[in-house]
Amino acid sequence: MPDGDVDVFLALVERHRTYMYNLALRLTGREQNAQDVVQESLLNAFLHLDRFEGRADLRTWLNRIVVNCALDHLRGLRRRPDAYAPTPLSDVVDTAASASPDPERLAASADWRRLVAAAMAGMSPLERVTFALRHFEGRSIAEISETVGIGNNAAKQHIFRAVRKLRLALAAHGVSQ
Amino acid sequence: MSHLTDDELVLHFYDEDGADIVRVERHLETCLACARTYEGLARTLRAVTPPAIVEAPDDTAAIRRLLLERARERDSLVLARAQAWLTEPRAIALAWLVPVLYPLVVPAIFAGSRSEDALARGVLVVLALLLACAGPAVAVLVLREGPPAGGLHGGGPHADRLRVLGSVMATITPSLFMLVARGGRRLDWWYAAIAAAALLALVPWPAPAGSTPRLKRMHRLASVLLGLFILGHIVNQSVGFVSVPSYAAMRGVMQLASEQSVSYVLIIAMVALQIFTGAAMGLKRVTTGVFARNLQAVSGWYLAVFLFAHVFSPYLARAAAAAPVAQALTPPHLLANASAVAALPYYLLGVSAFLLHIGLYARLAALGWLAESSVRRLSYATAVVGAMVVVTVGLSLCGIHLIR
Repeated sequence: MPDGDVDVFLALVERHRTYMYNLALRLTGREQNAQDVVQESLLNAFLHLDRFEGRADLRTWLNRIVVNCALDHLRGLRRRPDAYAPTPLSDVVDTAASASPDPERLAASADWRRLVAAAMAGMSPLERVTFALRHFEGRSIAEISETVGIGNNAAKQHIFRAVRKLRLALAAHGVSQ
Repeated sequence: MSHLTDDELVLHFYDEDGADIVRVERHLETCLACARTYEGLARTLRAVTPPAIVEAPDDTAAIRRLLLERARERDSLVLARAQAWLTEPRAIALAWLVPVLYPLVVPAIFAGSRSEDALARGVLVVLALLLACAGPAVAVLVLREGPPAGGLHGGGPHADRLRVLGSVMATITPSLFMLVARGGRRLDWWYAAIAAAALLALVPWPAPAGSTPRLKRMHRLASVLLGLFILGHIVNQSVGFVSVPSYAAMRGVMQLASEQSVSYVLIIAMVALQIFTGAAMGLKRVTTGVFARNLQAVSGWYLAVFLFAHVFSPYLARAAAAAPVAQALTPPHLLANASAVAALPYYLLGVSAFLLHIGLYARLAALGWLAESSVRRLSYATAVVGAMVVVTVGLSLCGIHLIR
């Protein structure tokens, strides 16, 4: 394997790196996880470059790889309880919930971000990824089901469950809805 | 007035309620309770904002090192695979050996069943049966390293097509063999069929027409009726293991229903639709190393030929005499004579392929309703039940019944 191939590939994907990292961060919620997902995605993309064949936009192709790598990564974390240690909600938001329970007023605070992150950590990998794609990335349910490789109905149900878990977790800590 | 569900409100928030948007909007204007719930949901979701866009950490050097390292690992893996026992020529040979040797394996089942010692009889029949049913497993093994991504159609190398065709032939061998046998053909026809299949590897394959979602919809529609028909047979065959009189009663009803010209035409139409849509999707689904997909494709290939042989074989038989109803109403004893024994792997693989095919589909669909962990647990339980059904049907087909 000539080193030049790697350099050409890295130059090709360089302008998408920030996009990939931020997408991975939204999907996984942690910087270290996002960094791992980007590395894994670039590796996958490099090893399977022959599958790209210019049939789709490079970013679209990379996006699909990042989403699936993030899913695998989250599933892997679940299988290793030592690596998967979400912060308990109760440790996160005592102050936030008791001081001002309105989510819109809390939204800008660091406590609120930690509270939401902890609530999302309670979601299953598919719930988390479908929710993040719909909510943060603004992808349609049809696009999500296509990217993740599940049916439309399945994608909807995962989003419903994710929203339910999020609301329950927030309500349990006194955030008014 | 019924209130909107939480799920409807979530869809409305994300503008995903499609044609229902007007109904939901109107309801929210008139129903204070739903409007309040929606407002609470929207307030919460609006407050869940994405993290701010940040620069990716500059780890290009680390990524470069990783890529080089893994690329070298891959190269050495490719080399190791080339030196492994299942090299491409061996994989192709293994796949094609299944149909070539199959006419020798079938009599082995019958020979085993004639053994004097009861224990030896059981062991020999099971071993020979496992060998006869090994085709689909060989196909999955051979496809594991599979054809290159980008599909099998088009101008792929001959070796890939030969490998996939070999996998198809290994899979469908028991059904195809039954078809040839029912047509009253001799072994020379069987080997001519294998040679004709091998010649197909020389020509480029057409790209399957039609989009996968459309094919899937048609496939699903046809499978509903056909699934009921097959499931009825499987349940009845399992009942046959427990009680022969119950089997005969149920079989009589099913025979009466399927002999009606309307239902018979419908079944044939559904089989044709299944085979056509399944064949197109089967080519698209075979993907390097994706085990579940290949398993679904392999079970689909077998089912296609199995259904074809099952439904159309009366027309292909040279001297097909209509079986008397009384004979058909007793469970078949396939170890009773040498000519019937080929039907044993044929039926057992048919049942396994059916359960596996719909099981894999149901697993995917279940993700729409249940959490992943529940689906996984359910899959294990279903696999155990499926294996029990196959064994029960097998015992019944071997003439073993609890109540005669």
